[in-house]
Amino acid sequence: MKAVGARLPRYDGVAHVTGRTMYVDDIRVPGTLWTKALRSPVDHADITGLDVSKAESMKGVHAVVTWKDVPLLEYGHLSGLGIPADEPLLAKDVARYKGQPIAVVAAEDEETAQAAVEAIGLDLTERPALVDVRQAFNSDAPTVHHWGNWYPHFEGEMDRRQIRKGSIAEAFEQADLIVQGVYRPAAIEHVPIETQVCQVVPEADGRLTIYSCTQALYFSMGVVAAHLEVPLNKLKFVGGTVGGGFGGKVDTATETMCSLLALKAGRPVKWRWTREEEFLCSSTRAPWHMEIADAVTTDGWILGRKMLTLHDSGAYARFSPYGLTKHSFHHTGAYTIPNLEFDGYVVFTNRVPTTAMRGFGVTSVSFAVESHMSRIALELGIDPFEIRLRNANRKGDTSPNGIAYTDPSTIPTIQAVADELGHELSADYRTATSEPRTGEWLPEHLVGQLGNPEAH
Amino acid sequence: MKLTINGVERSFDTPPLTTLLHVLREELGITSPKAGCQQGGCGSCTILVDGAPRRACLLPVAAIDGAEITTLEGLGTPEALSPLQTAFHEHYAAQCGFCTSGMVLAAHGYLEAGGTPERESIQEALAGHVCRCTGYVKIINAVAAAAGGEIEATQRWLPQPGEEAPVGIPGAPA
Amino acid sequence: MAVHKGRGISAIEYPTGMNQNGDPSQAWIKIKPDGRVDVFSGTADIGNGSKTIQSQIVADTLGVPYDWVTYDNSNTDSSPVCTGTFASRATFVAGMAVKKAAESAKAKLLEIAGKELEIDAADLEVEDGVVSAKGAPQKNISVADVAVAATWTHGELITGTGAHLNPFAAIVDPETGRVDLPPHAAISYAACAAEVEVDDETGHVRVTRLVQCFDVGKAINPTLVEGQIEGGAMQGLGLGVLENCYPYYPSVEHRGGQFGSYLAPGMEDLPQVDTLIIENPSTGGPYGAKGIGEMANNPQPPAIAAAVHDAIGVWVTELPITPERVLRALDSKQEPRRDGKLVAFDEELSVNAFSDGSLKFEVPA
Repeated sequence: MKAVGARLPRYDGVAHVTGRTMYVDDIRVPGTLWTKALRSPVDHADITGLDVSKAESMKGVHAVVTWKDVPLLEYGHLSGLGIPADEPLLAKDVARYKGQPIAVVAAEDEETAQAAVEAIGLDLTERPALVDVRQAFNSDAPTVHHWGNWYPHFEGEMDRRQIRKGSIAEAFEQADLIVQGVYRPAAIEHVPIETQVCQVVPEADGRLTIYSCTQALYFSMGVVAAHLEVPLNKLKFVGGTVGGGFGGKVDTATETMCSLLALKAGRPVKWRWTREEEFLCSSTRAPWHMEIADAVTTDGWILGRKMLTLHDSGAYARFSPYGLTKHSFHHTGAYTIPNLEFDGYVVFTNRVPTTAMRGFGVTSVSFAVESHMSRIALELGIDPFEIRLRNANRKGDTSPNGIAYTDPSTIPTIQAVADELGHELSADYRTATSEPRTGEWLPEHLVGQLGNPEAH
Repeated sequence: MKLTINGVERSFDTPPLTTLLHVLREELGITSPKAGCQQGGCGSCTILVDGAPRRACLLPVAAIDGAEITTLEGLGTPEALSPLQTAFHEHYAAQCGFCTSGMVLAAHGYLEAGGTPERESIQEALAGHVCRCTGYVKIINAVAAAAGGEIEATQRWLPQPGEEAPVGIPGAPA
Repeated sequence: MAVHKGRGISAIEYPTGMNQNGDPSQAWIKIKPDGRVDVFSGTADIGNGSKTIQSQIVADTLGVPYDWVTYDNSNTDSSPVCTGTFASRATFVAGMAVKKAAESAKAKLLEIAGKELEIDAADLEVEDGVVSAKGAPQKNISVADVAVAATWTHGELITGTGAHLNPFAAIVDPETGRVDLPPHAAISYAACAAEVEVDDETGHVRVTRLVQCFDVGKAINPTLVEGQIEGGAMQGLGLGVLENCYPYYPSVEHRGGQFGSYLAPGMEDLPQVDTLIIENPSTGGPYGAKGIGEMANNPQPPAIAAAVHDAIGVWVTELPITPERVLRALDSKQEPRRDGKLVAFDEELSVNAFSDGSLKFEVPA
């Protein structure tokens, strides 16, 4: 092999260091109009009036688009995974988060577009907002979403993601210690240095060329095609060179609205979000609330885990049911725990909808289970490296949902870090391998729980 | 108003408070400096004004009428990279590349002012230039290399039991 | 009034590919009349270097020099489906698509080379732009000449197509979450140690060192792998101690709308980053590769939280670990509630403290 494994220069490296790489905002199409959005100024309100007439008739304004102009107003981006549509492209009767787009304007320049936005008449009747996922289930909680305050459409129309394995009651019964904790990582921004941006050009043959910063050309093309109710070959997505994404450029936040503006105006339309919009209105990593109770033995085995997760989805579902499912599949972390009771909810709040960000679903669970493991080690007086090596996945161990691990490397990665730090491991732990469990690494509670790593 | 941009004198007529970034990108078609924040907070718009790094998004053109502007294009071309651009390329200091223009020009200003290869000095000089992709490690490596310093590899490749480490990788046995 | 040092560790795992799979990637290749190779892939490069990685895979699989490969991911008219650059799938799933496309093109290439050399295609191999007979390298023809022959003698276009799809792993029992197929393309692993300094007067946490070991299966381009790990380290650090969309979460008030009021990690936050990399090959990935892009920012936050406890004896389990939270924790000196075999931390944060009873988290008595 010559290329694979070699430190070959970046394909786009010279272009990057000479300023030649073309991002969406660098493409120049004569006659391009600028876009600005009217956004909800409040967290939760009924929209009782929307008057765009002044904006439409303003000099320099070429198009104003509201919910009325959208052929299919609500399209579920992950409807292929069974997640139904719930979010209008532009708000119709209700605004559920501060910053939610209600109307978009295309005009000759930024200043005119902004003035037009400010000339739109918007009547709102504020409603109480729900912001704390822990209060979402209360009988007096404000209602955020037409489905209620938590997502009810998991398989079998269940209202939670469940994992069950073994018997958690027996595990608690047999435990020497039950350690309980609560973990709450925050919403953070993707902060790509390139903000959300797209340019849409209506072509002479009736197609739309959409220059997009999306991380997923076909995925976003599918979203636009669905909202516009057009076949895929009506659209040409151009992109593939993105100024940072980290999961925040999958939502297809600008392309559909610009396409509608471009069709209405008959002119190319560009929308580049300001950094302020990026910080305040773009979708974020989700805040999570996780509670864990682990049944442990004094010699450091984790017999069972009970866990409750509340995933703060913000005002709409977006990808949250998918993220929670992934989270649930990894709630044992890098360890083999045979008795499990996991319940997770996708909870709606009146904040910007949350979305995928680097590690989606698992970043949160890693924070919770690893912090928890460190606490357990301290409570038991066991070396934090060794307690992890003891419980670490080995070949043939099975995952929360019954799949055997084929090539785990929890053990060598921990050993490597211990070695680098000069942390002495006792002999058994220093020589432990990822081979299937035997002897001292196979306690009674794991016998009968193992699977066949060759099965798949 | 007049500006000399990468050695070429350009005249233009624009409202005096128009930012240099807008003039470069929208009126002159020079798109290497980026509109990352337009708040002076990210540094992706940094260019050289009379040789000194400045943020183009905060500069009204009237304030720099007659100045010499250098953008990334003026530092070197794909056929003739400047030593600093070569260092950035060879040290993989750009991933998505969006911050690179500002980062390279700020680093250029640092080196021209006598900047040394010490990591702390580089960090201080480039503070305020935000990169989200690289974690800054290889950017600092590149600037240190261009300043004539040695790079200490902070990565090592460990062989699997029974295997030899990959050859030609820093830290792997020869 | 002192600065205290501490260390904490974490060990994590992360799946490659979309959860439950079912996420296709496709690619196609054509060979120009002089043997140069054009690859069409739908994978967006978001800085992760997928253009580079996929070109490397094509070069070796097809047997041509890396600089013969031109990569086009620019538009949906010429490129086929790639589900997207997320879920750490660009190297594995999308990489397998281009690998299969290269294998498909290679089969066609060898078929025509075989006609030219009058040797069975099964007895031929390609390396460095030359097709030769296995075991008899003096019988050879350059890929360039094969392309010429294809174009002007045989009237053939040498192409290859590839598609990769790991079958969708449906949840067969929603009450247990059981699946019958692997819900991932592979799993990657990492361990991390964080060292911090905590000022007990200001509450400020400074991360001074990160020691990390990542298993990446096979590093298609080692320097790009390092780039992912280093970039991820700073994002993990940001998640751990700096960044918060909602500084008064769950309140939505007082959000930061600028750099400076939203604390993205800067160059001054960079600790010493020591990275160790192992290659424990995946089954089914291109040359044994596993994903790396996302997990790079997962191990740091819990290692930092444990390090803070090691330094000053308090747990902060709400992220980010801000000076305010550290000082409040130091003031309150919270101990867990101990009751029989139960050790209960953080009860003031629990849903039990906020709910009217409609949702509870309880350990059976």
